[in-house]
Amino acid sequence: MLNVLLANLPLLLKGAVVTLYLSAASAALAAVIGVAVALLQLYGDPVTRAATHVYLYVMRGVPLLVLLFAMYYMLPYTGIDVGATAGGIIVIALYFGAFMAEVFRAAILSVPRGQWDAARALGMYGRLLMLIVVVPQALRIAGPPFVNTCIMLVKGTSLVSIVGLWEVTMAGRQIVERTLAPFQVFGGVAAVYFVICYCLSRYGRWLEKRVSYVH
Amino acid sequence: MVAVRGVSKWFGAHQVLKDVSLDVAAGEVVAVIGPSGSGKTTLLRCVNLLEDFQQGEIRVDGEAVGYAGAGAARRRLPERVIARTRSQVGMVFQSFNLFPHMTVLKNVMVAPVRVKKMPEAEARASAVRLLERVGLADKLDAYPARLSGGQQQRVAIARALAMQPKVILLDEITSALDPELVGEVLAVIRQLARDGMTMMIVTHEMQFAREVAQKVVFMDGGAMIEQGPPRALFADPRTERLQTFLKRFREGYQL
Amino acid sequence: MKLDFNFILRNLPTFLEGAVVTLELSALAILCSLVWGLVVVTARTAPSRALALAATGYIELVRNTPVLVQMLFIYFGSAVLGAPLSGFAAGLLAMTLQNGGYMAEIYRAGIEAVSQRQVEAGMALGMRRHEVMSIVVLPQAIRKVVPPFTNQAIVMIKDTSLVSSISVAEMTFHAKLLTDRTAAAYEVFLTLAALYLAINAIVSAALRLLERRVAIPT
Repeated sequence: MLNVLLANLPLLLKGAVVTLYLSAASAALAAVIGVAVALLQLYGDPVTRAATHVYLYVMRGVPLLVLLFAMYYMLPYTGIDVGATAGGIIVIALYFGAFMAEVFRAAILSVPRGQWDAARALGMYGRLLMLIVVVPQALRIAGPPFVNTCIMLVKGTSLVSIVGLWEVTMAGRQIVERTLAPFQVFGGVAAVYFVICYCLSRYGRWLEKRVSYVH
Repeated sequence: MVAVRGVSKWFGAHQVLKDVSLDVAAGEVVAVIGPSGSGKTTLLRCVNLLEDFQQGEIRVDGEAVGYAGAGAARRRLPERVIARTRSQVGMVFQSFNLFPHMTVLKNVMVAPVRVKKMPEAEARASAVRLLERVGLADKLDAYPARLSGGQQQRVAIARALAMQPKVILLDEITSALDPELVGEVLAVIRQLARDGMTMMIVTHEMQFAREVAQKVVFMDGGAMIEQGPPRALFADPRTERLQTFLKRFREGYQL
Repeated sequence: MKLDFNFILRNLPTFLEGAVVTLELSALAILCSLVWGLVVVTARTAPSRALALAATGYIELVRNTPVLVQMLFIYFGSAVLGAPLSGFAAGLLAMTLQNGGYMAEIYRAGIEAVSQRQVEAGMALGMRRHEVMSIVVLPQAIRKVVPPFTNQAIVMIKDTSLVSSISVAEMTFHAKLLTDRTAAAYEVFLTLAALYLAINAIVSAALRLLERRVAIPT
């Protein structure tokens, strides 16, 4: 029964490594985008605020798959060539960056007002106040929802298989075409995602507990 | 009306009630006083079985609360029976606990209609009468969030009264109120006492306990230490623990 | 960049044909996961340890694997079993299984958000467990559930695009075909994005209206 899975394990694991790489790269980029957008949204001038608003609105309302398709069909006409993998990473990061912006924005806003007052009373202001008092606390609050968004992101990377990028889901489809054993193979693919996401969710829960100790 | 006999309760290894016995006669008002953590609120919550207890028995109007049998044969009564007992015992909470999704009138009507199966019209008439009695006839259609704490607590009292309970348990009902709102709530309780309602009151308001109760019970460390008529108890505390408690209280400690 | 609006207008019927399928699948998937989520949360909070454990395992499983892989598993799996499901049915089943898990957690959070004091107040009035649930807890929980439910509904509408990969002719599928045929990538994908934005805007506006309708007056 599981022979098919065992025989193709090396290929699946290779795919898993690509999925991990795609996830890590786009999560890192998404985090940067998220923090930047959150700060722009909170402290930017009206024009940038409006721009971030449009960005968030589009990302929340359009499916990731459509963005991926758009990227692959439209980019060739613009003359920009970033390569298929980099393109996929950028689109995933832009999409989940919007969700992370929301996470970071909420975290910054949930630092109690009294903390700002206390820092100001000590003579801090501007960047110093943000850096020493607000950001460290916001990051701690943002930890658990950030990890949750990462889980969504890892699952989201499976979509690049539809636009032709090779990772674990694509590897699974190829093996199924050859072996006609969808249960074993897609079961194995699902297991790869489950291991990654379950570890992340345990980590998120651990963070959550730590945050609640602090408060 | 209420008979508490040798009630003990443990939270794990920690004993929170130690062999407590107490009687409340029909029409009597009993005030339970004592420092925080003395078990007075726990005792009150045992009377309508919001808390389980492991030993002893409590009877309301002769009926056993929560458990039947003794010793090894002791067993918890079915939920249906416990609910029926609770429907005869009113309770008012420190934090009001009004139902936020119902109007004031609905809050007072809901239990008579749904639990006692009282006809809607009758329940409404009685609810309106009760709300008039607590001075809130003009708030029938308001939602709890619109009311002050004192008003909410008066609705909660009306809600408890609507079930025509044999006894009402009042659990520190003024502790969550701003000082200027305490008076309006206590006035309602005073009136109830004059009307002969049987009440068990856990309170921090010593002056009020002295004035409204026929009997004051002092608890400390989960045990009943002293009980007696308020005048005697306050004027001449026999135990050192009550002396210390009253002394601290007079010195204005938050107890 | 110059957009050919005539092209868009000419092909609008094709888009709308796909939109009907997208809406059908969205509505069915949302409805089914609302119901399935209720079943899962009932098991999750059941007194039986085994049942609760099974439900927790189920929720972990569906939430930690991509809905796309679940769709492929069901679509190709059903074919091997000799009872091939249509792409539409496989997509609906996968989305129901996954989002039922999310809905169960949303329900549970809603119920837990109603404070224990409310439960006690009900019990003190002599209500039995099921009466406390139906009179006191659920009416309050439902109101708390609407905002996260709105988010989940939008996620599901977007997820319907995935069934284009198991040959269901919904909006994204038609868009892809059209691009392959005409190479009018800008026109096609801007129209497609606009249609999704419009659907999601309408749905979230409607649900916000519902949220305001059921809100507890203050």
